[in-house]
Amino acid sequence: MKIFKFLGKYWGWAVGASLFMIAEVAFDLILPQIMSTIVDDGVLSDFAANEKTAIVVKFGLIMLGCLILGGFCGISSGVCASTASNSFGDDVRRALFKKVTNLSYEQTDKFSTGSLVTRITNDVTQVQNFVSMAIRMFVRTIMLFFGGIIMMYLTCKEFSYVLAIVLPIQVVIMIIFLKKATPVFKVVQSKIDKVNSVVQENVGGVRVVKAYVREDYESDRFNDANVDLSLTTLKVQKILAIIMPLLTIFLNVIVVAIIYIGGYKIVNVNPTLLPTDSDYMTVGKVMAGLTYIAQVLIGVMQMAMIASAITRAKVSIGRINEVMDCEPVITSDVEENHKYEIDPKDLGTIEFKNVSFAYPNSSGQNVVSDFSLKVSKGERLAILGATGSGKSSIVNLIPRFYDVDSGEVLVDGINVKEYNLKDLRNKISMVLQKTELFSGSIEENVKWGKVDATSEEIEEATSIAQVKDFIDGLEDGYNYEVGERGNNLSGGQKQRVSIARGLVRKPEFIVFDDSTSALDLATEARLHKALKEKMQGVTTIFIAQRVASARHADKIAVIDNGKLVALGTHDELINNSPIYQDIYNSQLKRGEQDEQ
Amino acid sequence: MNNNQGPRKNQVRPGGGPPRGRMLFVEKPKDMKGTLKRIFKYIGKNRLLFFGLLFITLIVTVVGLVGPYLQGKAIDAITISESRLQVDWDSMILYLSLILIIYVSSSAFTYFQGLLSAHLSQNTVREMRKDLFNHIVKLPVKYTDTHAHGDIMSRMTNDVDIISNTISQSIGSLFSGVLTVVGVLAIMLYLNWFLTLVSLSTVFLTILSTKYLSKLMRKYYKKQQELLGNLNGHVEEMVTGYKTVAAYSKEKKAQDEFDEVSGNLKKVSIKANIFGGVMGPVMNCISNFGFLLICGFGGYLAATKSGLGNWWFSVGTFVTVGTIQMFIQYSKRFSRPINEIANLWAQFQTSIAAAERVFEIMDTPLEVNDGKERIDGNKFVGNISFKDVNFSYTEGKQIIYDFNLDVKPGQKIALVGATGSGKTTIVNLLMRFYDIDSGSIKIDGVDIRDIRKEDLRSTVAIVLQDTILFSTSIKDNIKYGHLDASIDEIINASKLANSDYFVERLPEKYDTILAESGSNLSQGQRQLLSIARAILADPKILILDEATSSVDTRTEKNIQDAMFTLMKNRTSLVIAHRLSTIQDADVIIVMDHGRIVESGNHYELLKKEGRYYNLYQTQFAGNEI
Repeated sequence: MKIFKFLGKYWGWAVGASLFMIAEVAFDLILPQIMSTIVDDGVLSDFAANEKTAIVVKFGLIMLGCLILGGFCGISSGVCASTASNSFGDDVRRALFKKVTNLSYEQTDKFSTGSLVTRITNDVTQVQNFVSMAIRMFVRTIMLFFGGIIMMYLTCKEFSYVLAIVLPIQVVIMIIFLKKATPVFKVVQSKIDKVNSVVQENVGGVRVVKAYVREDYESDRFNDANVDLSLTTLKVQKILAIIMPLLTIFLNVIVVAIIYIGGYKIVNVNPTLLPTDSDYMTVGKVMAGLTYIAQVLIGVMQMAMIASAITRAKVSIGRINEVMDCEPVITSDVEENHKYEIDPKDLGTIEFKNVSFAYPNSSGQNVVSDFSLKVSKGERLAILGATGSGKSSIVNLIPRFYDVDSGEVLVDGINVKEYNLKDLRNKISMVLQKTELFSGSIEENVKWGKVDATSEEIEEATSIAQVKDFIDGLEDGYNYEVGERGNNLSGGQKQRVSIARGLVRKPEFIVFDDSTSALDLATEARLHKALKEKMQGVTTIFIAQRVASARHADKIAVIDNGKLVALGTHDELINNSPIYQDIYNSQLKRGEQDEQ
Repeated sequence: MNNNQGPRKNQVRPGGGPPRGRMLFVEKPKDMKGTLKRIFKYIGKNRLLFFGLLFITLIVTVVGLVGPYLQGKAIDAITISESRLQVDWDSMILYLSLILIIYVSSSAFTYFQGLLSAHLSQNTVREMRKDLFNHIVKLPVKYTDTHAHGDIMSRMTNDVDIISNTISQSIGSLFSGVLTVVGVLAIMLYLNWFLTLVSLSTVFLTILSTKYLSKLMRKYYKKQQELLGNLNGHVEEMVTGYKTVAAYSKEKKAQDEFDEVSGNLKKVSIKANIFGGVMGPVMNCISNFGFLLICGFGGYLAATKSGLGNWWFSVGTFVTVGTIQMFIQYSKRFSRPINEIANLWAQFQTSIAAAERVFEIMDTPLEVNDGKERIDGNKFVGNISFKDVNFSYTEGKQIIYDFNLDVKPGQKIALVGATGSGKTTIVNLLMRFYDIDSGSIKIDGVDIRDIRKEDLRSTVAIVLQDTILFSTSIKDNIKYGHLDASIDEIINASKLANSDYFVERLPEKYDTILAESGSNLSQGQRQLLSIARAILADPKILILDEATSSVDTRTEKNIQDAMFTLMKNRTSLVIAHRLSTIQDADVIIVMDHGRIVESGNHYELLKKEGRYYNLYQTQFAGNEI
């Protein structure tokens, strides 16, 4: 899997970790052999007592040596493995984040931001843990498992026969039960989600629940989800409860078998052999056999852990690769700061030529169809239309957040596709519908628009955006810390700060994507007045839902179903455009009639 | 779990539990005894299960202790005489059969132990979750308004989970751990006190090194958690703000900042992992060292078949190879629970702290509902009167001052004013989401504090600014206010609210399940559904709180028509930013900073050329203020 190419740089550490681990296990495997010698030669032999003592001491010291070396290898393996896996994880994380920031809108939409966040954080951690586990645990388990079997065979052939019979049965049992449990685990997860969502809805929607007096109804709904969850969990736990006892039974059958074989051979085979023959059974060998068995079985159980870690890691790797494999759909071959040949008469204009567009992940229905419109320099255009009529989609085509399906969008007379993306976007200040501020001071947030903005520039921008008074009233002023996603500001304050962020860069074009919705009417009016006075020559497009807002514009474009249905000044439209009259009537006429 | 909703996993939450898994940060419970008592009250409902579990744990532990003894005995059946190994065949077969019997029954008991503990923990936790939820839905609105939703959520999920794990695992493990330690110690002492001391020395070593290492580890893990929190915060912010990042071409800046945080995390993580990773080999080393000591000393004792050398005292019973085998096994069984007990104790404390957080919610007083008066639908008229109402959410910050208003049956009252002027608060008070500080609110002459809350609220239907729908079917959502509505009634309400046309276009129509938070519908469509819900509830009093603000103007007109019919013969209260929606109101109340500054109908207010006139001018006549 190609994600592991990130491990390439750290292969030395990874191999080191594995080698040290192999060495550690090797020392572990030798210990029972030494013990066996101590028992057979040092205890149960007919040497003289002081010779026996000498043997015990000698081999005891050898064991101590092995022990210390083993411990040293274990620690070294840990050092190598954590260096390798963390460095690997760090590289993957950086690469992934870079990829994510470069994705095009439609791709981010497709993944959903929540899922992207999980991929960068949880999934990478998952894979990193897996790598660390693989280079240590995996190697260790395999070593213990096969090493144990081999040592068993060397100690006594018959011991390994027992193992050969019982082990496969055991592995099969484990596979069967894990297979049975895995799908239920998924069900459990979905039940947990269900419980969570009921709680979430009740906490968030407390007013509706109370207003409709549905506390008991909700309690029932929760209880269903709750009982469902607990029964499903019980099901998994029941399956898991069988595994351990079953495995222990097999372990103990093997223990009994080994002692029995040992005894049997002592009685029936030993008399035909010399004590020096390799087939000669001793008590030490029986004890070594018992120790190896334990090691092999630990290996089996760890394999189950590794198997589940592999499945989990596979899911995460899949999710990471899905992002890594995504090439941004909207790219440009032009290098940054390119000199564009702009015809002076086209400067400051935006033109749509027969533009049609459908969202890439949608059913293919056009949201914008055959749309043509030209905005000239310094003009202030309002786009008016119902929700879903395609207003936002139209302005999103200007900075190439999405690409048109047919037709073209020209900025300064040049097709947007012929710009370097950065150059294009630096010309335009987009103030988005959903305000996004970042943690940091208000000043830092405004400076997003222009990194080297002076304090005069910042103050000018905030004053036009009608947020200066608010900031001045704060104790920390411009140093006021905005919380994560701006959650310590009100909707209107956030919108105004983000407007200031758009204004501070003194762009050629400003686009307000319905970004004054949280402002009260007086503030909105002041904002438009200030914009008109202070931002002359800046081509401005703003999306509006209210005729009252649209009236601030030089020209109004009325959109319906992705099509331009009327274009003109308020006075022209009120006379010529039925649809505009319709909207106007629904919003205004009743009031004016009363006045007369 | 979708990460958009719900508490974020790695988020460090105020007063929340530590990340699960490694119990490195132990939370100290405030009132251990009291909380424990309450937990046991839950367990007490399953008393039989609990004591059954303890009993079976006892059996499993004791049986587990006998095993190694029998193994040793079986090996001792092999003896040496005249330099040849001999086997006492009868005694070997006897011990081997005993081992088999013991272990098979032990496995069966272990299985039952697993079953019992699963049942016990699930029963307990189910009860606890149920009680907690039932309490949460009945809490006053004030509680949910003033507490972080993520925190409430995490008490429901994480904290209850922690308690569940403790009940299903820790209690049993703690019990059997203590039993094992005591039992093993007894058997070892019985076998040979000298070898017992030898084994204990390694236990001592284990405890010492665990303590030292985890202290080191904790330091780095804490730092690691902090950095992880930073990293997650940064990712969350930049990814959810991707539109802005792209619009301002700030990809590079975001990447650089991320690289820095990520790099720091890497450095700290390596250290934390190294210290964490050292633990395994060190433990392994110590346990092997114990193995060595037992083999060495045991071997020596067995070899010399005596006390220690020429020392004058005896070291207990005669040491055989079987004894060595027993000690090897027992010392392993001994050190494991000793290691675990410390861990389990920490886990235990953490879950007590978790339980305290759960009980804290359960101890929050429920919404008071001491009203006795019932509202008789037939005699209901619909007079509402506010008299000298004063109110503040927090003491000292008064929101509503001397609010007086008389609403006659069937009237349409509009509340107008800037954000923060107190319009929404009036709704909160009328619905008794909050209780007034002084004055009175009466419906048909009865103080609303004397009316049963159910009756009061069933009389009023509200449509809120933030549309709240549930992740059930569209049908269930619409009939929320009228549970036994027929499908025809539902469709009819939906038609009135103008939502029928888009519902019909959905593949499953009224059976469409709404995605969590209703994200498979547009904001406007969701708003329409919540209006349909209010229509179907057929209330006596209707409250619309900015209800049409996210519906486009043409749809709004249609809704208005529907509302117009709906509001006929109904007392209604409308809060709106758009003056166009309320011009036909019988009375328009202009509010400012919690006070009524003007009131009258549209025509009268315009004549006054006061606050309302100014608002109207700004809204309709453009920007000349």
